[in-house]
Amino acid sequence: MEALLTLWQSTGIANVTWRELLMLLVGVGLIYLAIAKRFEPLLLLPIGFGAILSNIPVAGMAGPDGMIGMIYHVGVETGIFPLLIFLGVGALTDFSALIARPSTLILGAAAQFGIFATLIGALALNLLPGFDFSLADAAAIGIIGGADGPTAIFLASRLAPDLLGAIAVAAYSYMALVPIIQPPIMRALTTKAERGVVMEQLRPVSRLERILFPLVVLFLCALLLPSAAPLIGMLTLGNLLRESGVVERLSRAAQNEIINVVTILLGLAIGSKLSGELFLTTQTLGILVLGAIAFSIGTAAGVIMGKIMCRLSGGKVNPLIGAAGVSAVPMAARVVNKVGLEENHHNFLLMHAMGPNVAGVIGSAVAAGVLLALVGP
Amino acid sequence: MDTAVADLLIEGLWLMAIGLGIVFAFLAMLVGLLVLMSKAVARWGPEETLPAMTAGGHALAPPQDDARLIAVIGAAIQTHRRRHRP
Repeated sequence: MEALLTLWQSTGIANVTWRELLMLLVGVGLIYLAIAKRFEPLLLLPIGFGAILSNIPVAGMAGPDGMIGMIYHVGVETGIFPLLIFLGVGALTDFSALIARPSTLILGAAAQFGIFATLIGALALNLLPGFDFSLADAAAIGIIGGADGPTAIFLASRLAPDLLGAIAVAAYSYMALVPIIQPPIMRALTTKAERGVVMEQLRPVSRLERILFPLVVLFLCALLLPSAAPLIGMLTLGNLLRESGVVERLSRAAQNEIINVVTILLGLAIGSKLSGELFLTTQTLGILVLGAIAFSIGTAAGVIMGKIMCRLSGGKVNPLIGAAGVSAVPMAARVVNKVGLEENHHNFLLMHAMGPNVAGVIGSAVAAGVLLALVGP
Repeated sequence: MDTAVADLLIEGLWLMAIGLGIVFAFLAMLVGLLVLMSKAVARWGPEETLPAMTAGGHALAPPQDDARLIAVIGAAIQTHRRRHRP
């Protein structure tokens, strides 16, 4: 009888708490979104599964001695995983559109306004009961507006590890929602004539320029903003592997094997932060709301800067491409292309939007570096 | 309103001003450097820029390959003529 009781005590049913039960449901919900709705499945599926594993009662997989807890400790606490993802992003990204028209970098800078506006928003939430965000917390929440998953995870792991789960889930779910969030804002801020602007074709970019580009970016980062060096460094290394043309094997590994392996491990590790005590709080709700606002403000700021560039260039720039300044590569550029085609069936903006789009990646990495330098530990 | 929160907000506004300033300054400088880089490459860089970018990838072949190609084609024509000579 005693043995039976002990056995009962060790089952999941006897030990489960309502929080764990709810988080198991959240995990199942994320997996459902990934499989049935195709919402960022590459990340939400492992995150959802990680959430389920971490909330299995008694097993303690997310604890310091648990499997996922150790993955988190090695990869996320140290910031290694998001940086390896950045290596892959660099190897996957073609910066030619940006090199051909460097002025689009300014659009990528404007879209970072979303990050800082959200930071203020997070601090203002402190006026409501139940919220207690420090400056570091607010900075980590703001980076959701950069629409760049790895950057958000990197910064959150440095500044606000407790909020990491909510921030990562918010960042990736809003990236999946880019095609829904952006178009209404883009249409509201531009006139029909502006949306119909046809842009000049981009000039061809030589191989030497593409090889020098990552080195120039890294050089500037080393001179001015060493705190962004981990992010920019890995991005430019990945890009140099790609463009140098002499290390095909390494470039392919960064684009496929490395980024895929790390994506699985990163997803599991983030899932472990979806534990009941950390996730089921009013703060999470606040972060989800702020994330949506961050995206919208970033998009709006990009489009407005696009309008300014349109005026200054004498109507040669289509302001829609400003919306692609919030990284979310290549989704945001595709959305720009789609909205442009609605106005003029022969106006393909995809290549023009790739410039501000990849500029957004650099912009949000720079913004992360600034935040790390100013509020970092 | 809480003075603590007000202080935090003021600090946040400062962060926003400085942060956005640095982001813009950094990217504006990058624009300048990239323009300089492109100009330098156009002036001193190797002349291989155009062939690399043509749509087919091999629309223009380098001259020495041309000469070889002509030689090969010429030899092929000669062989053909020799074989079919009555």
